[in-house]
Amino acid sequence: MTAERRGDVAMGERSFVPPVRRVEGGWAMSFDDDERDLLVRLMGELRGLLASERSSALLDPLFPTVYRDDAAKEAEYQRLMRDELVSSRLAAIDTVLATVGPGGPAVIDEEQTMAFMQAINAVRIVLGSMLEIDEDDDELDDTPEHHLYTFLSWVLEWTVRALSPNR
Amino acid sequence: MPTTLEPTREVTPDVDDVAATDRPWIVIVWNDPVNLMSYVTFVFQKLFGFSLEKATELMMDVHEKGKAVVARASREEAEMHVYRLHEHSLWATMEQDR
Repeated sequence: MTAERRGDVAMGERSFVPPVRRVEGGWAMSFDDDERDLLVRLMGELRGLLASERSSALLDPLFPTVYRDDAAKEAEYQRLMRDELVSSRLAAIDTVLATVGPGGPAVIDEEQTMAFMQAINAVRIVLGSMLEIDEDDDELDDTPEHHLYTFLSWVLEWTVRALSPNR
Repeated sequence: MPTTLEPTREVTPDVDDVAATDRPWIVIVWNDPVNLMSYVTFVFQKLFGFSLEKATELMMDVHEKGKAVVARASREEAEMHVYRLHEHSLWATMEQDR
């Protein structure tokens, strides 16, 4: 696991609105048009991977083995549950597209915010796996993909904060 | 299985099988390099109703020891826990308690 390093950036100097925050009656997201386009695009890419007939190795971290020592039970589990997990992930993506995309609601409910959190994390997991992120690395490489990963970490951290009851 | 004894005798289940069926299953969450510590703590609270303290303790076990047992349950319940953990992209497996 990694600790998100950019969540505690000082917010004093300029007015700063978190990307996801608690508001009266629910939760609100604050992204500019470029960020929205980026999130929609990423959701589309994950959806494409999930919907593809050919199973991509990129998805392996999203579908872990359940029974490590029992191939028969594992096969049975995957036969019964894999499609359900795919559907669940697609449903979360649909929720993100409906809330982040153009014309989305100003205030979203807890279920929608949870779906957003799950889908953002799923994209982050796939990207982190592609980039071979190592939790012992103090600094990420300076590539566009690593910046994208950091952006997703930042969005996720604020989403968790906004949802957490103890903060 | 003895077949030459009383033909009408009811088959008694093997004692080991009974014990094996009754033993609870454990749900294990493994460390991975990507999931955020805050996120893992939150998911533990959300899915299992743990206090912040308990969820943090388990998260730290995962982080430092490489894994933590987050639930003991029947096989069916354990599968449901694993499924929900997978929905949140945590690396969860299950096995029968020893």
